[in-house]
Amino acid sequence: MTPAISLDGITKRFPGVLANDDVDLTVERGTVHALLGENGAGKTTLMNVLYGLYEPTSGRIVVDGTERSFEKPQDAIDAGIGMIHQHFMLVDSMTVAENVTLGTEPRKWGGLAIDRDQARQDVVDLCERFGLAVDPETRISELSVGVQQRTEILKTLYRGTDVLILDEPTAVLTPQEIEELLSVFELLTDQGKTIIFITHKLGEAMQAADEITVLRDGRNVGTVDAEATTREELAELMVGREVLLEVETSSYDPGAVTLSVDDLTVTNEQGIDVVSDVSFTVRRGEVFGIAGVDGNGQSELIEAITGLRRPQAGVIELGDREITDDDRRERIDQGMAHIPADRHERGVVMDFDLVENGLLGSQHAEAFVNNGRIDWKRTREHTETIIEEYDVQPPNPDASASALSGGNQQKFIVGRELARDPQLVVATHPTRGVDIGSTEFIHERLLELRAAGVGVLLVSSKLEEVRGISDRLGVMYEGEFVDTVDPEAVTEEELGLLMAGEQPAQEVSADERE
Amino acid sequence: MSESDMLARVKERLRAVLRRSAQTSAVERLLISTAALGLAVLVGTVLILVSGRMTTCTTAAATYFGVGFCYDPVTVFDRLFLGALGDPMNPLFRPLHGEFAPPFRKGWSPFNAAMAVTLRETTVLVFTGLSVALAFRAGVFNIGTQGQLVAGALASALGLLVLAPIVPGGAVGAVLLVPAGLCIGAVAGGLYGAIPGVLKAYADANEVITTIMLNFVAAQFALYLVSNHFQRPGSQVVETVPLPDVGTIPSVVFDPRTNFSLLALAIAIGFGGVIYYLLQYTTMGYELRTSGLQPAGAEFGGVKTKRTIIASLTLSGALGGLGGAMYVMMILGNFQTGVPSYGFDGITVAILAGNNPLGVLFAAPLFGIIKSGSIVIDTATSMPPQLVDVLRGLIVLFVAMPEFFRLIGRRAIADEPSVPNGGDEDA
Repeated sequence: MTPAISLDGITKRFPGVLANDDVDLTVERGTVHALLGENGAGKTTLMNVLYGLYEPTSGRIVVDGTERSFEKPQDAIDAGIGMIHQHFMLVDSMTVAENVTLGTEPRKWGGLAIDRDQARQDVVDLCERFGLAVDPETRISELSVGVQQRTEILKTLYRGTDVLILDEPTAVLTPQEIEELLSVFELLTDQGKTIIFITHKLGEAMQAADEITVLRDGRNVGTVDAEATTREELAELMVGREVLLEVETSSYDPGAVTLSVDDLTVTNEQGIDVVSDVSFTVRRGEVFGIAGVDGNGQSELIEAITGLRRPQAGVIELGDREITDDDRRERIDQGMAHIPADRHERGVVMDFDLVENGLLGSQHAEAFVNNGRIDWKRTREHTETIIEEYDVQPPNPDASASALSGGNQQKFIVGRELARDPQLVVATHPTRGVDIGSTEFIHERLLELRAAGVGVLLVSSKLEEVRGISDRLGVMYEGEFVDTVDPEAVTEEELGLLMAGEQPAQEVSADERE
Repeated sequence: MSESDMLARVKERLRAVLRRSAQTSAVERLLISTAALGLAVLVGTVLILVSGRMTTCTTAAATYFGVGFCYDPVTVFDRLFLGALGDPMNPLFRPLHGEFAPPFRKGWSPFNAAMAVTLRETTVLVFTGLSVALAFRAGVFNIGTQGQLVAGALASALGLLVLAPIVPGGAVGAVLLVPAGLCIGAVAGGLYGAIPGVLKAYADANEVITTIMLNFVAAQFALYLVSNHFQRPGSQVVETVPLPDVGTIPSVVFDPRTNFSLLALAIAIGFGGVIYYLLQYTTMGYELRTSGLQPAGAEFGGVKTKRTIIASLTLSGALGGLGGAMYVMMILGNFQTGVPSYGFDGITVAILAGNNPLGVLFAAPLFGIIKSGSIVIDTATSMPPQLVDVLRGLIVLFVAMPEFFRLIGRRAIADEPSVPNGGDEDA
């Protein structure tokens, strides 16, 4: 049987970057194929080549036994290839049926008007055929992210897609929604569709895929059978060396309260409460994790704590000092380090070189400044230390931040913030976009600080991360703490339910552990 | 190809151009500016020839290929660029007449009157250019340098008139009065710049709009104040009585009648260095640049954004005010309404300089030459001053546009995701 997709020696070169290096990839018809790799391994680039967004520097694309060359996505769509990007391209104010048929609407009156009934019927038929449950009359803005994703899938199916590419489809989903997505995969492959999905999560790849291809540094380092492989084997392929997936935590021996948040209420730009009456404490020598699906008030909560947003009500204390009305600089001076969620916007100044970025937040610190005059020499030494310690690539302090990959920017930020000698570290997605090796390193550093008596407040959408290194775990849903749990006692399913807003069953609660 | 595809392609092309212009190196930028100047001269030549054909005159100023033209582009550009320097070169086209001439004219002195005009315009433009550039580096579009310059000019003139009677004359008086006049100008300009700063920081008022409006306020207030309270008796124009000589900046080497002072130029150059140092080597400059490049990043780094906005506009205003004080104390010798548009020219100077304070020191002379050269053209040719203005505008437009594209290009590519790293977003 001819494979649905066969890529032969694809190389894609960008100025200064070899994103794909002679990659071969064969995807059999009716299977789920996972493209696994660390961030920056070239997965998305490879799929963008297949989808006609980029022209390959060299190499052949064979679809269904016929060699093709795609100049633009429309060519790929015509060849039966559809792609769903991380960011959905749906019109919020339109219904599912309108979105699905957008641009290819069935017409009536000789093409003068859109045949809405027909469009609705088409979508209903499509849903039935593939066993997908979506109400065609609902507006996108009223749908959960999971259903929006399903609408995207319908959209590509409506255009006659045989091969469906999904870029990090699970990044925005709750565990339950991920389960549903994986069953959708099954329904689709039963109908003969082929699925390629990009992920950097080992577990998901093993669970959902028939075959897994691992990319590293733009090269295909191996295609394995999902049934026959192990997590360790995949992890090794991804990083090129053996990694420990379990983080060793030292004994839990918390000290005095370093951060106390009391009845904090925060509003967003529209004046709507996005954090309501949240209270918790972080002690010295503990990691307090906050889990939750993105957009449930975590970022506003963190902004209020770090001084980037003014809370509506409530009290924040750092050590024994109330900092509710302190501005950002005073909080930095009080020993609060912050790894921000948005590294492009906040963490680094893109047009600054690394030396200049190394000073960000310390531009008043005595270590680098005398009477308002910056000691660039010392700043440069400081920057070089961070680069070396955190293995920032390229190791060039004069490179501008924008020349670094996201993962390396992140490593640099983490290095700079943890070098502040803080009493509290507020870390938001500290390992987002960072490869496994560096993730491990960052976790170790956070745990070292914990052992040294620093309080760590950790927000992450990666469940393994918050569960792995937190001592206590608060779960946020729609601006409130649903529960505070012991991360070791709670199962992934329970956590998923809490994240979806289910009230906790009255059993394990870490509050009692205090 | 569908319409949206077309649009997408045009957009992609445009983005590629912007990306390319944002990444030009210093050498490339210099070459581009030179090429742009050449192109402006070329277009200007066509313009001069065409209008020369459309005008009637008794004798042709030049004859090319048997066709007579009323204006000669060679003369015009020769006057514009070389006239502004007091004719350092022998006429370039003499070899065509079969004679040999050395390139530099005998008896040329760099301290001539035309050069003085060029340099005194340069002096004021350095200040206004620095004013605009500094604000721009902080992410603030100060269109109000003109108004701040007027405020500084008016305040230093009035201040000096008040102070002059109470200080001794002679050298001692000059040593006291000249710095005092400059300080008054700087303070007045700074305070006037602080107004839009406060409005932006605390009322979120767009500085482009407030500064433009404040330009009118400054000009009208000066008109009112001078004509109603400080009018020089018997004068046909709205102006104050002349400042005493001790209140004007002494000229060095140059003839005092040229109204140019090398000392003033030296101060201007010194300020270029000071502002450069401020931006690169001080905490304040660092915070200013951070706010200008990435406000959210500055906020993260503990920069007090409101304070930075006010500080940058105040400093920018002070530089504009200094330019005004220089204008009064060096060029005019009193205050007159109808101040030339130094502030607006400062915007172009800053753009051409890529908002680099040291770049301003190189961009300002070009504008000085054009200003001075157009005065020379007026006296040397029969070309109407309006057409000279058009030529000036052409050169400014051509030379500044590539830099302008570079600026918006940098903004545009800052907004788009970096392509090669692929899926490093939102893991």
